[in-house]
Amino acid sequence: MNAPQLGSGESKLETAISWLLIVGVLVSLVLEIAGIAVYYHTYHQVSVSQDPSVFIQSRNFFTFVYDQFRHAQGSAAARLMTAGIIILILTPYVRVVVSAFYFARERNIKYVVITMFVLIVLTVVLIRH
Amino acid sequence: MLNMLSLGLISVPVGFLGSLIGLGGAGLLTPILVLMGVPIKVAIASCMVSIIATSSGSASSYVRQRITNIKVAMYLEMFTITGAIIGATITTRINPVYLYFFFAAFLMLSFLRLREPKGSLTVPHKQDRLSRWLELHGSYYDEAHDKVVEYKVDNALLGGGGMMVAGVAAGMLGIGAGAFKVTVHEKILHMPTKVSSTTSNFVIGMTALAGTSIYLFSGLLNLTLMAPMAVGTTIGAIVGGRVLNKISNKVLKVLFLVIVVILIGQMLYKGISAI
Repeated sequence: MNAPQLGSGESKLETAISWLLIVGVLVSLVLEIAGIAVYYHTYHQVSVSQDPSVFIQSRNFFTFVYDQFRHAQGSAAARLMTAGIIILILTPYVRVVVSAFYFARERNIKYVVITMFVLIVLTVVLIRH
Repeated sequence: MLNMLSLGLISVPVGFLGSLIGLGGAGLLTPILVLMGVPIKVAIASCMVSIIATSSGSASSYVRQRITNIKVAMYLEMFTITGAIIGATITTRINPVYLYFFFAAFLMLSFLRLREPKGSLTVPHKQDRLSRWLELHGSYYDEAHDKVVEYKVDNALLGGGGMMVAGVAAGMLGIGAGAFKVTVHEKILHMPTKVSSTTSNFVIGMTALAGTSIYLFSGLLNLTLMAPMAVGTTIGAIVGGRVLNKISNKVLKVLFLVIVVILIGQMLYKGISAI
């Protein structure tokens, strides 16, 4: 007798998401630790700063990511920490993209609609703000 | 003076606890930051990133163990994201003094939830038509009870409404609102406790993502706060995700109860002092 299938019955999707989350989390972890280490090397202290240079701001998330890759500003430490934060923020977003593709491939229309709704709302929020 | 190393260390147990109980951890981290002199709006905004770290760090393990229900999470995310956008938009327009009281009230919800009995393997037999149509069911292996638990989710529409309210609270207060979400999962959707907590962990990351983009626009995200908190909560959440079934619920409840009581008192004191 076969063992019962655990989870929501979408084992391939669960495996893919699990790996995606592990990779995303570990990459961002390494970048943030490297950023803190470089910050210490540069300033010889690791105090939390309220200086405007450590605050990040942009018209929207995608513009922010584009600017970081095209003409990154600020210290090396800030760039590393920013890259780590970007990866961390992008991880759940990519998770939704992967889910939408999976359900489309499986022709599960209900969940294509649900994941596309989440993806569209998220994308609009990331673009508009 | 607050430094990144101590902030990273403080964040480890927060991520650990958050991953075990289904909370984002920002409900604890934000008051700590405020007590250390960080402006409350900056603290709220920067903690959004730590919620994503807790969520992704723990979910990577829970999804692999097939405890998180992906379909339930996807369905509920529609509601919670919409709510989070509304909440995060409101909070940049109101006086921060009121947020202290919101925090105190919200932490009391965590307290009430933790007083409820946990660990039961509730498996309702009935399921409404919408939940059945949405394929909201599943199974997982419960290590503590050494058995496979099969379950069916009920009241999908009402649960969606509850998650919308949770999303508004999350966006407004800069927390994952995990306690509220877990309560909705268990009381309305009739999900087993562990599925409820782990699915909440999965969903809170998405809610926080919607909120983070709004705070990016507002210029409230501080790298020297976010980076150490993300490191600490990620490490804590990864460890928590691996030991969920090995720690007594009773020990966790007592520990968390003590922390919540202290934070409620601190928040009320801050709020009253600021008036």
